[in-house]
Amino acid sequence: MGDPEKQPGDAEASSALAGVLAEFASAEALVEAAAAVRAAGYRRWDCHSPFPVHGIDRAMGIRFTPLPWLVFAAGLTGAIVALLLQWWTNGVDYPLLISGKPLFGLPANIAVAFELIILFAGITAFVGCLALNQLPRFAHPLLRSERFRRATTDAMFISIEAADPQFDAAATPQWLQSLGATAVELCYEPVAGRAIPRPLLMAVVVLASLAVLPPLLIARARLVKSTEPRIHIITDMAFQPKYKMQAESPLFADGRAMRPPVPGAIADGQLQDDDHRYRGKLPDGRFATTFPMPLTEALMRRGQERFNIYCAVCHGLAGMGDGIIPQRTTARGKPWLPVSLHELSVRSQPVGQLFNTITNGIRTMPAYASQIPVEDRWAIILYVRALQRSRAATLDDVPAELRDKIR
Amino acid sequence: MHLNTTSSHLGDEPFTLGDSATAIVPLATAAGLGLLALTAVLGWLEHDSFRHFFFSYLVVFCFFLSISLGALFFVAVQHLSRAGWSVTVRRLAEILAGALPAMTVLFLPIIVPMLLGSSSLYAWVSPAPHDELLRHKLPYLNLPFFGVRAVAYFAVWGLFGRYFLLRSVEQDRSGDPQLTLKMERASAVALILFAFTLTFAAFDWLMSLEPRWFSTIFGVYFFAGTVVAGLSAIILMAALLQASGRLRWAITTEHYHDLGKLLLSFVIFWGYIAFSQYMLIWYANLPEEVVWYRARNAGPWGITSLLLLFVNLLIPFLGLMSREVKRRKYLLAFWAVWLLAGHWLDMYWLVMPTYHPACPPLGLLDLGCLLGLSCLYLAAVLRVAVGRPLVPLKDPRLGESLAFENL
Amino acid sequence: MTTIAPGIADNTVNDPSRRAPLVIGRQTPATVTEQVCRIAERPRPPLAWYVAFTVAASFTAIFFLLIGYLIVTGIGVWGNNRPVFWAFDIINFVFWVGIGHAGTLISAILFLFRQRWRTSINRAAEAMTIFAVICAATFPGIHIGRVWLAYWLAPYPNQMSIWPNFRSPLLWDVFAVSTYGTISALFWYLGMVPDLATLRDRATTRLRQFLYGLFALGWRGSARQWHVYERAYLLLAALATPLVLSVHSVVSFDFAVSVVPGWHTTIFPPYFVVGAIFSGFAMVVTLMVPARAFFGLKELVTLRHLENICKIILVTGLIVGYAYATEFFVAWYSGSPYEMFAFLNRATGPYAWAYWTMVSCNVLAPQLFWFRSWRTTPWKMFIVAILVNIGMWFERFVIIVISLSRDYLPSNWGYYKPTWVDILMLMGSFGLFFTLFLLFCRYLPMVAMAEVKVVLPHQPHAAGSEAQSG
Repeated sequence: MGDPEKQPGDAEASSALAGVLAEFASAEALVEAAAAVRAAGYRRWDCHSPFPVHGIDRAMGIRFTPLPWLVFAAGLTGAIVALLLQWWTNGVDYPLLISGKPLFGLPANIAVAFELIILFAGITAFVGCLALNQLPRFAHPLLRSERFRRATTDAMFISIEAADPQFDAAATPQWLQSLGATAVELCYEPVAGRAIPRPLLMAVVVLASLAVLPPLLIARARLVKSTEPRIHIITDMAFQPKYKMQAESPLFADGRAMRPPVPGAIADGQLQDDDHRYRGKLPDGRFATTFPMPLTEALMRRGQERFNIYCAVCHGLAGMGDGIIPQRTTARGKPWLPVSLHELSVRSQPVGQLFNTITNGIRTMPAYASQIPVEDRWAIILYVRALQRSRAATLDDVPAELRDKIR
Repeated sequence: MHLNTTSSHLGDEPFTLGDSATAIVPLATAAGLGLLALTAVLGWLEHDSFRHFFFSYLVVFCFFLSISLGALFFVAVQHLSRAGWSVTVRRLAEILAGALPAMTVLFLPIIVPMLLGSSSLYAWVSPAPHDELLRHKLPYLNLPFFGVRAVAYFAVWGLFGRYFLLRSVEQDRSGDPQLTLKMERASAVALILFAFTLTFAAFDWLMSLEPRWFSTIFGVYFFAGTVVAGLSAIILMAALLQASGRLRWAITTEHYHDLGKLLLSFVIFWGYIAFSQYMLIWYANLPEEVVWYRARNAGPWGITSLLLLFVNLLIPFLGLMSREVKRRKYLLAFWAVWLLAGHWLDMYWLVMPTYHPACPPLGLLDLGCLLGLSCLYLAAVLRVAVGRPLVPLKDPRLGESLAFENL
Repeated sequence: MTTIAPGIADNTVNDPSRRAPLVIGRQTPATVTEQVCRIAERPRPPLAWYVAFTVAASFTAIFFLLIGYLIVTGIGVWGNNRPVFWAFDIINFVFWVGIGHAGTLISAILFLFRQRWRTSINRAAEAMTIFAVICAATFPGIHIGRVWLAYWLAPYPNQMSIWPNFRSPLLWDVFAVSTYGTISALFWYLGMVPDLATLRDRATTRLRQFLYGLFALGWRGSARQWHVYERAYLLLAALATPLVLSVHSVVSFDFAVSVVPGWHTTIFPPYFVVGAIFSGFAMVVTLMVPARAFFGLKELVTLRHLENICKIILVTGLIVGYAYATEFFVAWYSGSPYEMFAFLNRATGPYAWAYWTMVSCNVLAPQLFWFRSWRTTPWKMFIVAILVNIGMWFERFVIIVISLSRDYLPSNWGYYKPTWVDILMLMGSFGLFFTLFLLFCRYLPMVAMAEVKVVLPHQPHAAGSEAQSG
């Protein structure tokens, strides 16, 4: 608490005076002194504290920062960017129908918009804070003061710049002392000045030049045509040493990689020369009336199982035409009913004709050829005959030993 | 935070309602009953077994109930979090919550007709015999259990509404800090019971209007609207009282600022919950869930839905964002009224499409129920408020409440 | 301001007429600085740090080795298979993202609610958020199979002329978690700038001065800078609050937008957010109880802070319980046989053991916090916190694995078994988390000194000038 101190070991003569730094004992003292400095008309000055001091803003007359407006504008930008991005990419440029949802629907697109609002606004808050605070600023005369090191621990300071019109190298420090400063010292500019060191500048220039190269190369690549395929860093299985369809091949006279099959070649299992078995027809073209395989219990059981899987949904488990699909269509008011398998018109059909119906479909019944193998179709027909017999039987059809069980 | 001297002014101003309020109570009660009777007559003239009347009544009943419930929530949370800022406005919330026993009486026009066999309001009261879904819900959606649950809800709400008011008023006389601790402990239990009773009340009275529909977030949705309504009512009450010359020192700009911040937060919360419910149901597009929103998307109801979005979220969000708006009590009160109107619209939108899917049937019945129940609610609130101080005079944290400052 | 009585060792006493002190001992800005900076400045950390670091670093090494193994070999090294295509990978992702949320809540939401007690723990909690988000982001990154194509998720013009599908919640996740990581990091770093300046000004070696100085950006504690800084802090807090709500809501959308029974339910967004806060606070307890003991921070991170955290754990645990009850009720009420089965299956099916673990850890264990001794005794709350973390991991297991293992088509039901890679990767992610946290404790300011100094009880003038001579 004496005369203004000078920084030790400094060539004061060759470095300019930057300002004066005054330390105060407490936050209250700081606020009072700040009010006085402001009242005295100083403009280029500041207070320093390890934490924001209550009331200092008012004392110093600090105006509200415009940062909130910047953040709001950035948030709005984020919203617009997000909505335009989603609308254009998914709705216009490459429209993708995803489970019937509209190409641009707010419920699905709000989430990303919300996130981009926050992202843009948050980044602006951070960058804006640094920019408005003129940070980073590594070289500052105050940071060269030993005493100032305590500004981030527990000490409070007021600094007035020499560039302020009211600054006087002799009077200002004295006056600050009279305001109650516990210590006052003068601060000097760094000897080398405030210029960025040359090596750093060179490094930045070099890096900037290098950084320009990739975009230039990309632009060149997009503008120039090439016959080479694009560079694949990881090829996955994109390039395979095999011939693809429609490709050229130098091995054959006609130049085709795809070879036509040898005339008369038939795929395995595709011969199907047995008309009776595979088409249900007799040599003269009429429908067959017999089964092309021996009739066994196993065949009947298979037929029952397959009928229940494939046919019962429409025809019903008993073939009455009351399966679950006709039930539902009736419930909805638009009945769609298959014919009952017990009708005379169906009972009188030869088995070959039934086979033809299953294979090729009839009226609104689709073809089941692709779903039911040939043997299974005959098994189903056998079971259908059993069902038909169950409704159109006579007493003679019942075996003798069971006749007295009938009521 | 530093103590300012306004606390010393507390003794200078009137802190009770005064005799004029006492005179209003019977007048308002009579007016309310008369208006309701008139509205009931109009409802009878529609010859729909009072269906329109019940629906209109339910809308307005839930509206006023949610104000008191929101106030109860506010009181309980302030106690649980040991808040200091809200002490001077807490009595207003306690008064609003103190009207909950009266709401029990106002529920009678809904429950009594149901007990007498009316299924005008809730279709599940007499479900069709072949309706499997409603039969499945019978263990819950049956009249006796419904009645028992209603009794339970009102018991919990009424008891806690009275408890917090009476303990707080007791503290006005004794100044015993132990009462604060008791209320803090009770608030924990109160909030747990509040969560469940509010959720199931929303399920019972609002969700079961459409008994085939369900949504797990429905209770939270109703809760969000409740808090917005409660906060708006507190703000409005504070502004009106200050306009009449009371509590001018007790409730400061800082209180309005904080209430405004809470209001904005819960407006956003309401929007978030509403969006969650809508988007999830929209996205999955399951018929059993979509049916409820389809009723509210079509034609005039679709316009109402859009209106709801703007009135309850988009416009108040922009309006309440500004720091200045939250610090000006009449601007804030404007938004409070706006949001109360929006909350009524929310209730209307929840309830009415079940009754009238074609378009919002706005008419005299709505006006009549609104006016009638307003008078009765006013009478109930005044009855609680009369003769009691409007500020918790000897709350241990009163000084803190008068002295805090916002950032 | 009502009277503060400094110097009470136990500040958990509940007296309505006064606010409990937020720091213990006669703390001045200088003593606070000393207590916190000493941790980063002393040449050797306590032995416990070395032990913990070795263990954590080993698990981190295992984690990275296994990631390499996974990328080279394929997703088949995990147990994921039809029908449980999402398992440990997504459970771990949701688990870690959830844990991160507590940090943001403490930093941002408690700041907006003017809860001054947050200042002792917010730095460590925010650090926890960053590290949790790092752990979380690894899992979706590696679970896509062809990890080297992850950049396809970004909307950039490409030779296939194709764009990402913005209608998918998985893509919303990409945006949400990236935004969350970015904003949390910016918030954390901005908060640290004044404290880094403190470390810079106290640095004794040139290297430390350079490194701390670089990241302190030349901070001078100027009042004009504080003004803008405080405004930016408030704005970031106001932005981070809806962000934290939205991130876990978007994560919940991954499940809720589907039609899978047990997944598609409207309450998921708020339920997930509350669950995240619940698990995050439990992790804060898990970290701070040992940290305050080993690093000598008991006077700054007091029993009252811990008690407040325990109360928040109790509240959020009750809300999670409410969500369970509502889901269960509405599953019955809906009348949907698939929904009803899904919930019965959780409680009584092949994974019932996981379900009941979840319920006991999430609903029952936190009830211990009704009792004062459990809220104010560090080792007791540590146990409950571990149980809560286990319970919350199992909650994601229950939701993801059980619903997938049995959905609409019985012919498609299957039982999932994790492989050793799954389990070791989960442990490895904990290793990564603790490694990063231990490094943070060693080199960065663990407590937000500048913020704590603001909430110190008002000091008379004397303390400042006496400390100057030091």
